[in-house]
Amino acid sequence: MNRKTIIVVSIALIIVLGILGYNYLYQDHRQITVEEPEAELNSDSITEIFKMDASNELLNATVSVTGVVTEIDQNSITLDGKVTCSFSEIPANINIGDSLEIKGRCIGYDDLFEIVKLDQCSILN
Amino acid sequence: MNKIVLVLAAIALLVFQTHAQDKLKTKSGSITFEASVPSFEEVKATNENVSAILNTETGEFAALALMKGFRFKLALMEEHFNENYVESTTYPKSVFKGTIENFDNGSLSNSPSEFVISGTVNMHGETKELSTTVELWKEGSTIMLSTSFVLKPGDFNIKIPAVVSKKIAEEVTVEAQFSLSN
Repeated sequence: MNRKTIIVVSIALIIVLGILGYNYLYQDHRQITVEEPEAELNSDSITEIFKMDASNELLNATVSVTGVVTEIDQNSITLDGKVTCSFSEIPANINIGDSLEIKGRCIGYDDLFEIVKLDQCSILN
Repeated sequence: MNKIVLVLAAIALLVFQTHAQDKLKTKSGSITFEASVPSFEEVKATNENVSAILNTETGEFAALALMKGFRFKLALMEEHFNENYVESTTYPKSVFKGTIENFDNGSLSNSPSEFVISGTVNMHGETKELSTTVELWKEGSTIMLSTSFVLKPGDFNIKIPAVVSKKIAEEVTVEAQFSLSN
């Protein structure tokens, strides 16, 4: 091998490592809206799971929850007074009393309000 | 007999009403913390789903932030924050419980006034006392609360590995905003 090939190969190697490193450091966030739910639950079953154990495997998982809308806030919808789902923007035409299936990332159990919280939500039905 | 029932119902209604009025709350308060060091990647995250309750009779205030709700600009930083630093699966929440000293709901106006709040922060399995100033003001029937304070990871047994310690500030600035309503 002559010197030229060595130089070309090492430059190529540096570029490849650089790209891999950059992609690792600056990897994209999860896209909850396109992930498949790991569990399909309703507002009762998800709260029961969190009341039994606040650090369970649903934490950080994408789940879908069914329930009836009891509260609509600026950026969140509450189902059955038990599960609060936050959206980047509340979808139009949602009313109290609607039956919804919402997908989101489960971020944990809030003992102040006794609710389970989901973020990055989207409506499935 | 009917009158007694009516009076009791009226009392119950009154009690229930005052009870409903003296607790203001939110499920969507925001907390932003920053531990950036100049010329390194920004270390900053925001949680916009913080719960809080203020008792306007006593000035008692409680806030709860789910650690997995903190969003970073970089996904990898978010992952490290959750897995290596705050261990958010083992310790999913942080809670502040305290009292706003000399709180008087009637004295609040549209312009911010300063109060001292003191209480405890529970995070990562450790409890630490915290006393700081809060600004309170009214927007209609909503009470706005804004505060800023400094926390040290070491106080909560959060260890920063030596390799990255230059890129993460030792003092973490925390800013919080709550609009508390009925």
